[in-house]
Amino acid sequence: MSDTFSYLLMAWLDPQLLLLTAVGTLAGIYVGAIPGLSVTMAASILISFTFSWDINNALALMVGIYVGGVYGGSRTAILLNIPGAPSAVTTAFDGYPLAQRGEAGRAIGLSTVMSVIGGLLGTLVLAGTAPYLADMALEFAPRDYFLIAVLGLLLVSTLSGKSLARGIFSVALGGIIGLVGMDMVTAQPRLTMGSMALMGGIHYVVVMIGLFGAAEAFYQLHNLNRVPVKQKVDKIIPPLKMVLKYLPLSVRTSIIGVVVGALPGTGGDIASLFAYDHAKRTVKNPSSPFGEGAYEGLVAPETANNAAVGGAYVPMLTLGMPGDAVTAVIIGALVIHGLNPGPMLMIETPHIFWFTVGNLALANLFLLLFGLTGIKVFSKVVEVPKALMIPLILVLCVVGTYSINSNMMEVYWMLGFGILGYWLKVFGFQMGPIILGVILGPLLDETYRQAMSSVGDDTGQFLLALVANPLSLVLTLVIVLVLLSQTPLKPWVKRRLSRQ
Amino acid sequence: MFKPILAPLALAVGSLALAGTAQAEYPERNIQATIQWGAGGATDNVARSLTPHVEDILDTTLVLTNRAGGTGVIGMNHVMRQRPDGYNLLYGAENPLLYPLMGLADFTYDDMHTVNIIGQGLVVIAAPADSPYDNFSELLEHAQENPGELRMGGTGAGGLPSTVYAMINAVDELDVRTVTFGGDGPGITAMLGGHIDFMPLSLAAAGEQIRGGEMKGLAVLTTEEIDSLPEVPPITEALPDIESFLPWGPFWGVFVHEDTPDEAKATLESAYEEAVGREEFQEFLQNFGAEALNLNGEEAEQYLDNWQSVTAWAMYEADAGILEATPEELGIPRP
Repeated sequence: MSDTFSYLLMAWLDPQLLLLTAVGTLAGIYVGAIPGLSVTMAASILISFTFSWDINNALALMVGIYVGGVYGGSRTAILLNIPGAPSAVTTAFDGYPLAQRGEAGRAIGLSTVMSVIGGLLGTLVLAGTAPYLADMALEFAPRDYFLIAVLGLLLVSTLSGKSLARGIFSVALGGIIGLVGMDMVTAQPRLTMGSMALMGGIHYVVVMIGLFGAAEAFYQLHNLNRVPVKQKVDKIIPPLKMVLKYLPLSVRTSIIGVVVGALPGTGGDIASLFAYDHAKRTVKNPSSPFGEGAYEGLVAPETANNAAVGGAYVPMLTLGMPGDAVTAVIIGALVIHGLNPGPMLMIETPHIFWFTVGNLALANLFLLLFGLTGIKVFSKVVEVPKALMIPLILVLCVVGTYSINSNMMEVYWMLGFGILGYWLKVFGFQMGPIILGVILGPLLDETYRQAMSSVGDDTGQFLLALVANPLSLVLTLVIVLVLLSQTPLKPWVKRRLSRQ
Repeated sequence: MFKPILAPLALAVGSLALAGTAQAEYPERNIQATIQWGAGGATDNVARSLTPHVEDILDTTLVLTNRAGGTGVIGMNHVMRQRPDGYNLLYGAENPLLYPLMGLADFTYDDMHTVNIIGQGLVVIAAPADSPYDNFSELLEHAQENPGELRMGGTGAGGLPSTVYAMINAVDELDVRTVTFGGDGPGITAMLGGHIDFMPLSLAAAGEQIRGGEMKGLAVLTTEEIDSLPEVPPITEALPDIESFLPWGPFWGVFVHEDTPDEAKATLESAYEEAVGREEFQEFLQNFGAEALNLNGEEAEQYLDNWQSVTAWAMYEADAGILEATPEELGIPRP
């Protein structure tokens, strides 16, 4: 027991580890804030960089980068309507309207506190229930992932704003973009029009930077002469009363985050979508309507995506299986440092588990510190004249896109999506559903085919499996209920019932 | 109006630079190294643990970039299109040897110069811990009595499981449902949950799970038992005829443009030979479930030719339908 404590506090007491965690967190915030610079990329560069270091030092730096990076994506989402990472897409829905109201400081402050709450809750779940949560995550068969993806498709009603028809069109468009590339089973080129450059598919971050970054920059050209909103910078740290008010919601969305994060096939991006949807369904009287600057719309995704970090560590530390792309890179780092990430990791080297738990908690405290300082300067970004801001955003979009795969072709794609996104915006389409489609399209394709081939390509067996297993049955029932509550069926059923 | 002034200037600068390269010893600046697969994968891990040793020997910096996509086509295509000056390396895996066969691209490693074949991963056929089969013979027997019933994890056409499946079918008969995953990792996750019955995996990915008792090794793809997995029988116990295809496994190598100056080729070859031979890296490979090969020159060419002929013909004999061209049409000799 005393051993556990000393491992837990290792990062807190060793000045070197303390410093590395702090540096990592600070660097992560900025890496996360720039669209295209991803935490995965930063972590993999750190592998060669920290090659000769002590393993604990390397891990401390990576934990910091990870925690800071997931949070950093929300900064640009709030200030510029450009999410720095896919998991911050929903943060922009209510964060940007808040900034346009002059409440950028308040929005960043709230998102910081909520990220820390989510992060700490995620760490707590990791510490307390990791082995059980990992066993539960393994129970998810391909058909269950398929059902989760179908459930994800139903989020379209939450994300499509005023016109559901446009939303459905956008999801379909996103799905098709997501399917470009080599077929995963037969290796046949799909929708590539014979181009070698498309064999690898279109990276979804490229689509995201184009649709959110470049398209937003183009769209802002309409408002060149609008005087920027003067930012209120006095009330930045949210009062305790406000934090307490949103505590029940943040606990619920953190649980969504940690569970979705622990599933090896899904991560913070899908978690934040589900959390936003959950908030929109359950909060009856938001501070403003959702999509127009509701604090609740900020609380939900920010808690969920940071809680997903703790979740992603669950299968990694207990089974040696990555929960997402970043933990996959960290597994690589462990191998290179001579450790054996696998089911024996927790038995042979228990200090790695408790060290990581303690380090995650520490990184979240640094996040609170760094997140709440410098907001005044940051919120002035909104007041920068458009003539300076728009070119700067475009430069960042190009640099960010190029850095994903060092591929100039992807920069052209990004610009193409920027132009497409501009016209879609002009005609009242939302960008969220397109990203939803890009994320879910390949997941649906993959999991449907896995589920079908598992039962010998027999549709009857497939449908039977959806209700014959407890877990699948629960998911199927949720889908049916959501469908009933969203479609005209519900009023119809109600009328019939009241008549009797 | 600037043209007349600029053109000679550019020429002068250019010839200066050329003269510089001719005199200075290679390498005089940073080397760009492209990794054909994504961050965190096996090729990435091998490249990132080997590179610091090479940097140390060459006394220069290797800038590593992951250019994943299209089974490695994108990364390889990039390096082949760079200037052949020895400053662009490719860290690649086995896949390019099958590109023409699968119709993915019309080039292979024959179109590049091999600096070093670093090592080869061992392959193990794994099953969930509570599987009713203790070795591959038992599984084979059950599968033959109930064709098309067992679920095998795969990673798509041309992936490691499909090649092993092809080899087995070239010498015996195995009819199963193939469930395709995005890689070894997702496949293992599905196996731990009992959603598939077996899967051929690289030892690098599966070794820890087997030693930890979460999975069971049914056979290793070798002719003899291996030290790191005692008690797991070699596949030749169940299928003696498969020996003609062995040794076989996924491998990793370093390549440069074919037209690279001989001096640079030689410098790189000796640097990589020394780096791979270093004790620290050898330990990494062993820990990683791989065996060191450290081949260059003639030996490396032979290794590549043999690998290509074994794999291509095994795939052809098992199911010619999935191939875009026959090995014969491509001039690949029978093993």
